[in-house]
Amino acid sequence: MRIAMPHMGNLYIPFKALFQRLNVDFVVPPINNQRTLSLGVKHSPEGLCIPFKLTLGNLIEAAGLGADTLLMPIGFGICRLGYYAKIQEQILHDLGYNIKMVTMGVSERKLLGFLHLIKYLSNNASWPKIISAFRFGLAKLNALDRIERVVQKVRPIERIKGAANKLFARAVEAIDQADSHGTLKKVQRDSLTRLDQVVKDTQTRPLIVGITGEFYVLLEPFSNLDVERELGKLGVEVRRTTFISEWTKFSLFLNPLGMNEKDRIHKAALPYLKRDVGGDGWESVGEKVLHANEYDGLIHLAPFTCMPEIVAENIMLKTKETIPVLTILCDEQLAKPGMLTRLEAFVDLLWHRRRKRSNDQFQHKGHS
Amino acid sequence: MIKVGIPRALLYYQYYPMWKTFFEELGVEVVVSPLTNQNILSAGSSRVIADTCLPVKVFCGHVLSLVGKCDFIFIPVIRSVKRKIYNCAKFLGLPDMTRAVIPESPPILDIEIDINKGKRYLYQTIYRLGQHFTWNPLKVRRASLAAWQAHLNYRWLMSRYSLTPPQAIERMLGTPELPSEMPQDQSAPAQATIALIGHPYIVYDEYINHRLIHRLMQAHNKVLTPEMLTQEQLESAIIRIVGRAHWTYEEEVVGAGGHYLENRTNGVIGLMTFGCGPDSLMMDVVRRRAGKLGATPFMNLTLEEHTAEAGVVTRLEAFLDMILRKKRRQVEVCV
Repeated sequence: MRIAMPHMGNLYIPFKALFQRLNVDFVVPPINNQRTLSLGVKHSPEGLCIPFKLTLGNLIEAAGLGADTLLMPIGFGICRLGYYAKIQEQILHDLGYNIKMVTMGVSERKLLGFLHLIKYLSNNASWPKIISAFRFGLAKLNALDRIERVVQKVRPIERIKGAANKLFARAVEAIDQADSHGTLKKVQRDSLTRLDQVVKDTQTRPLIVGITGEFYVLLEPFSNLDVERELGKLGVEVRRTTFISEWTKFSLFLNPLGMNEKDRIHKAALPYLKRDVGGDGWESVGEKVLHANEYDGLIHLAPFTCMPEIVAENIMLKTKETIPVLTILCDEQLAKPGMLTRLEAFVDLLWHRRRKRSNDQFQHKGHS
Repeated sequence: MIKVGIPRALLYYQYYPMWKTFFEELGVEVVVSPLTNQNILSAGSSRVIADTCLPVKVFCGHVLSLVGKCDFIFIPVIRSVKRKIYNCAKFLGLPDMTRAVIPESPPILDIEIDINKGKRYLYQTIYRLGQHFTWNPLKVRRASLAAWQAHLNYRWLMSRYSLTPPQAIERMLGTPELPSEMPQDQSAPAQATIALIGHPYIVYDEYINHRLIHRLMQAHNKVLTPEMLTQEQLESAIIRIVGRAHWTYEEEVVGAGGHYLENRTNGVIGLMTFGCGPDSLMMDVVRRRAGKLGATPFMNLTLEEHTAEAGVVTRLEAFLDMILRKKRRQVEVCV
């Protein structure tokens, strides 16, 4: 049994660690690239969203590398994702690949379901082994996200542009290589101190832009053309609430206990959207309302034809809380120069808005 | 008398007799928006962002046409009518979205139907809806039972007499539903039997689909639609093709498509609108199935605001020509 799964950001690193510890043959398909996208687009129904096309591309490439068991997340009651696996399996069969699709219920099978799935995939490994491997995978995931958070803060204020990105790339590779909890901890500590040592411009107060929207396009840099890095280059600090480690922590451990990290966001959205519309639509509206005073602007990422995000976008335009929102629809037609132009214009607008606001405040004080 | 407006779009064709009976039993007058026309469509599309799908744009137009004509607008949220089978996100956000894009609309009656939350929740929801008009729970109960009966009658009429929803509504309520007189001349033997699959709000909205049923009938074809099948036929077709249904209205597409592809129709036409999330997947399932069976021709028509009538007609004619040619060839072979 050779197992593979589609990419989403750096998610392959923890999964690789997990399966390697269990001595399962785990194949990592090539990191998303133009070929992946073309393959996916070629074999997908035209009206589908970019997550489907990219994951299909990954699966085709993985099948080409000899994977015969493909792991695909699904879920019920959440947008089209629940249907992905069925269609992708048919497409792969039609292409002549003899593969088996194993679905991973992300919304209903909590921790136990996930562990059972691993047990099945690892050919009935013993429970202590599975739990130790799971913990190691989780540790890698947490380390990755912890470093990424710091990188997001360093990017806009570093003196030498690109320093943080270089350190991050090195850290990702080191984390991927780490083979024990000890080395992992060391890598994390080293990366954080190096990031701390980067020469920074502490005088300017960078613009703060929140990034919200659909889970996959938020977390897969290839699908959003690296919007976070581009914003960092423009001197903007990016705030993102969605991290896989957070998501795992809550959906696997805390949600079954009745804790929900999103309650605050949902409550904020209530005046405008009373119920879950699937996907991340509710959260998008909530984040705009919640952070209207905190952020300078908001970037709303959504795949083209994403149903929940269209509902969210319609509602976001009409909220009382005003904050500039730039919606970027991601699909295979999105091109870098076009996106950069829009980002630059957006950032200009935000600087202008901030200057105007501080002037207004200044004048206010002068009068009184 | 209090007036409740029901937009003639989206779920109208599925549930109108039920809703009308419910409200009228409670002594409320029901106002329905007119048939879709150019004004409704352009008014609706001017309110929402461009990537919203066509049926929702049409829906907003219908709500706009009801502004000022009623005291409430009824927009239910049908989350789930079968266990663990859910509806498209656009239906779930419909009342909130309407409130956001049409601020001048009358108060919206939004109730959430979710069968997964149990019977008690369902009854509470219905009572909460009835409370707007009466305090008496018995009256609400009576109204909802009558409404349910009306709904069963409506479904029965359609599958028993092979009626389309507008025809069935016409027969049940006596109100004219069809804009154009259907060609009634059925004396000539039908050229071919064509099945139309898709959601009722596309198949029966003559403005959106450019009078497709009318055209098919004019060319002496027998037209079949998903509503003419029984629940069992639809469900068994779904099980054969995808296993377990995922969407609330999967039956109209995958179920009906699967059934008609296997059951000696001369051709199947799949109607969908651009940007429809569930359909983009479900139509593909049907298309793949048609390819695999290789017996019944299948055509997928994707409609949007800009779809020109001439384009639809050309494709339709070509499709019908192909079917007729195929039939003729089969006859020749037999001879």
